[in-house]
Amino acid sequence: MRIAAITGLHGASIRGRARADAGPLLLSALVVVLVSLLAGAVPGLMERTADEAVRDGVRRGGDAAKVIVSARFEPDDTLNGRARVPRLAQALDDLRLRAVDELGTDLQRMFRPPVASVISPSLKVTDGSVLRTFRMAYLSGGAGPEVVWSAGSAPAASGDETAEIDWYGPPWLVQVGVSETAAKQFGVRPGALLKLADERGNTRSAQVSGIFRAVDPADPVWAEAPWLLNPAAGADGIGTTRFGGLLSAESLPDARLAFPPDELKRTVSFAPDPAVLTWATAQSLKATVVTLQARSASSSTYDTASTWNTGLDSVLDEVTAQVETARVQASVLLAAIVAGAVLVLLLAADLLVRRRSPALVLARQRGASLTALGLELLAESAVLALAAAGAGCAAAILTTGGVAAGWVAPVLVTAVAAVPAYGILTAAAATRDRRSPANRSARRWARHTAVLRRAAAEATVVLAAGAAIVALHQRGLGSGLPVLAPTLAVLAGAVLLVRLLPPLTGLALRWAVRSRRPLAVFGTAQASAASGRALPVAALVTSVALATFALVTAATVERGLAGGAQETVGADVRVDLTEDTAASADETARRIAAAPGVTGVLTGHVTDSAQIVVDGKLTPARLMIVDSRAYTGTALQPDQALVRSATGALREGMTVEILQTGKPAVRLTASGSAPAIGGSAEVVIVDVAAGLPDPPNTLWVTGPGAVQATDGLTVVSRAELARSRRAAPLVSGLIWLTWAAAAFLLVAGLLGFALTAAAGAPARWLTVSRLRTLGLTPRQGRLVAAGELLPAAAAAAAGGTALGALVAAVTTGPLGLRLLTGQVGDPATALPWAGLAAVAALFLVTAPLLVRAEAALRRRQRLAEVLRVGGPA
Amino acid sequence: MTALVSVRGVHRRFGSGPSTVHALRGVSFDVEAGSMVALVGRSGSGKTTLLNVVGGLDRPDEGSVVVDGDEVTGLGEDGLSRLRREKVSYVFQTFGLIPVLSAAENVGAPLRLARTPAADREKRVALLLELVGLSGHAAQRPGEMSGGQQQRVAIARALAASPRLLIADEPTGQLDAETGRSVMALLRAVVESEGVTALVSTHDPVMMALADRVIRISDGQVDA
Repeated sequence: MRIAAITGLHGASIRGRARADAGPLLLSALVVVLVSLLAGAVPGLMERTADEAVRDGVRRGGDAAKVIVSARFEPDDTLNGRARVPRLAQALDDLRLRAVDELGTDLQRMFRPPVASVISPSLKVTDGSVLRTFRMAYLSGGAGPEVVWSAGSAPAASGDETAEIDWYGPPWLVQVGVSETAAKQFGVRPGALLKLADERGNTRSAQVSGIFRAVDPADPVWAEAPWLLNPAAGADGIGTTRFGGLLSAESLPDARLAFPPDELKRTVSFAPDPAVLTWATAQSLKATVVTLQARSASSSTYDTASTWNTGLDSVLDEVTAQVETARVQASVLLAAIVAGAVLVLLLAADLLVRRRSPALVLARQRGASLTALGLELLAESAVLALAAAGAGCAAAILTTGGVAAGWVAPVLVTAVAAVPAYGILTAAAATRDRRSPANRSARRWARHTAVLRRAAAEATVVLAAGAAIVALHQRGLGSGLPVLAPTLAVLAGAVLLVRLLPPLTGLALRWAVRSRRPLAVFGTAQASAASGRALPVAALVTSVALATFALVTAATVERGLAGGAQETVGADVRVDLTEDTAASADETARRIAAAPGVTGVLTGHVTDSAQIVVDGKLTPARLMIVDSRAYTGTALQPDQALVRSATGALREGMTVEILQTGKPAVRLTASGSAPAIGGSAEVVIVDVAAGLPDPPNTLWVTGPGAVQATDGLTVVSRAELARSRRAAPLVSGLIWLTWAAAAFLLVAGLLGFALTAAAGAPARWLTVSRLRTLGLTPRQGRLVAAGELLPAAAAAAAGGTALGALVAAVTTGPLGLRLLTGQVGDPATALPWAGLAAVAALFLVTAPLLVRAEAALRRRQRLAEVLRVGGPA
Repeated sequence: MTALVSVRGVHRRFGSGPSTVHALRGVSFDVEAGSMVALVGRSGSGKTTLLNVVGGLDRPDEGSVVVDGDEVTGLGEDGLSRLRREKVSYVFQTFGLIPVLSAAENVGAPLRLARTPAADREKRVALLLELVGLSGHAAQRPGEMSGGQQQRVAIARALAASPRLLIADEPTGQLDAETGRSVMALLRAVVESEGVTALVSTHDPVMMALADRVIRISDGQVDA
């Protein structure tokens, strides 16, 4: 009692009203719960997704993500030559320990155990016609590499442990071990002498001491030099096969003497452990490795200090760009969700206040202050909204461990304040003693003021939308206004549609009045009467348009993934020929072409990082030598090339010089634009007639049977690539959010429609009842009632979908979706026609369904009550 | 004269159990064709219930109602719709006009339902608007008219399809005394000019004076 006296709140009234309007109140609470959960969960999910993306990026980064620490050995020169240093393995281990120490304890746990190695330069095997190369390697890390010697023994020192050699002495012999696979392919046995030469033709000598088998071929240590176990095709150029010789701690000093001074360096490799990396730790890791790189950047010729090198920062930069883009894209969708939720809450508040209007007006007439009425309504909505938001946030914390107060706040504020605000306005308007001015000009001024006020509000929305879209196109997707661009654009479009609807229904009514169909007149009259209500139409159009935007974005990403895969692969399947298969490329192409389901096979020569000079500058580019008519549809002249450049380095009209070893450069004119080809910033396509050496190393196969036809070859499948990119954490996360946003906004739209129908139902059915006293049958009455709902349904179905598609077309470019789809350029907007038609049909079908439901709810209401109550004219 | 309306032993109850309200208790009376009958009684006496039952807007629990030879209580929904379209019309206390249609379009609504050709409809609408003194207001919408003018439009609409019976429930209830009297006078005049039978519930002594007959009802029964 005392509380009531102090606060002016009447508990029984609050409870009674809440019980009477349990439906709309629960619906509002449900919306708040859903938005709190969704908005709260998304940042948490994004964080998890970012963690996954970092792991995925590092995994995909492979060797580029490793941190490499290298250092020279101590000089071995003497007065007359060079001395054999027996403790090189110990020196290597020292470097490992030093690098671990420099890395620091915190960062060590982010890496797998380091692998120390000494790897020789590549040597040519000079005993055969096949292009074979050979490298020696000493590996040390963890417990490995453990091997079993199946023949012969481990490499030993070639001679005296402290021998000295002359500068110009004969090649120093090195003992190496060879894997069973390599020995079989190479055709060597223990004791065999390998004839080797460096790139300048200087002879090198190695002797096979034994044949080994790895105890654990999956030991990460082998990843530093996998060719030690299995010969690697193409590792030293097209058509080459690299073999490896394993050095031991005893033979490592010999290997150093076998090469010129400083050709063998000691290296420690840290491979990041994706399992322990997170988004947050990756940021500190990146900062540390950048610092270590910078600190070790300079070293003199005789410096034995360690040098740090890694592509990890670039890998993480790329992931960071993707994560940031995905975060902002998620924010775009969250803004849409919040806008849809706010509008539905406003509709629910409108319905509640309409239902309570008589009681509110009566209470006001009996002397209740507006403050007291507002406080009662506020108490009810605050309890409900806070409880709902709490439940939603708690669920979000339980599921994702996070909550986003910034996104929940607008929804919570609306849920708390909308009903009290509407209630106060309604009570005040009904009991306000404001008389119409006697002066006509004063009345006109009052009328114009109201019109101007609304026009100013609408102009503000339209201008804000325009500014947001301009900012999005000029600055790209970033925080702030650009994030709101799609939502503001949709709101602006909805405002324009709201303005258009009354004149359109007015025109329809004029037409209907001239028609001979009575139902057309009554239905259109109802439609015309209802079309003036701005909020329901704006809410429905906005929800449907934003749902459409989400659907179009999802479809654009899906189609973009397919397009990106097409750009990367260039056909249904791309076959990367190995040295074994390259020789028989034509035969392979013929065999594949003859396979069932193959519609086309094209051969070509692809060189990544080809040496190309443009404007006097060396510009590495992907060079593709193909049948230009078959590949691009454009038949190039021998002196022409097609170019594409992500950096702008290559442009049409430029002269492109392609450098060749031992031959004059080939000069071509960039005559056109090359098709988008993923995986390379600069692309040059020339015809086979250009005279460049073009031994085929790539086949492009098209047709439904392409995958089967290329079974057993090294292939990249377009479908498989698209699938793997779609499964990437960021992409799958964003697609999930896009679908969730579309579903939520559609449900919000349908709820909004139901609330709109419920708010107008009493007046609608009163009119229908009046018309029934003129002789309308119940069925005809339902049709007329449906007529009232038709403008909102039609505006949502046609206007909403068209508006959403238009906004998507205008904004999906700057959304940066190419970072997710793997395309060179922005993906073209994809319109999912079937989905859009289904959305439109859903709202058109909902109108008669709602009317049926309303009629069923009113089946006990007698027509006689019209005569008794009547209602306002 | 023959009876256009014949009401026999009509009972109407609302609710069930101890809270049952017996609105009509065995009401019987006849209304002669072409006459204007005033139904008089205190609030809650059962006037509106009786009008609803006679006009087919409500069904009695017992008894029968015959209007122009049609047994109203035996008609289905379609039959009742046809009855309302062809024989019975209503004038509401709150006018019951369609806000977005003009006065002429409101008056022509029943004629549209009757599929009257446009030319005939327009002629009839013009005639009725002239009859109720609103020729100059044909294009105005209800919101632009006074309460009395709206009720005149409602009367014109009720007469549009040339019904046999016009039912009016407190037609002057929302009007001031002077406007109410003029509306009553209009009703009397149109009943005579159109040959319509009118059953009007009212508290207004002027209306009672204008009626051919007054039926008093109290506690759900017609006073002897």
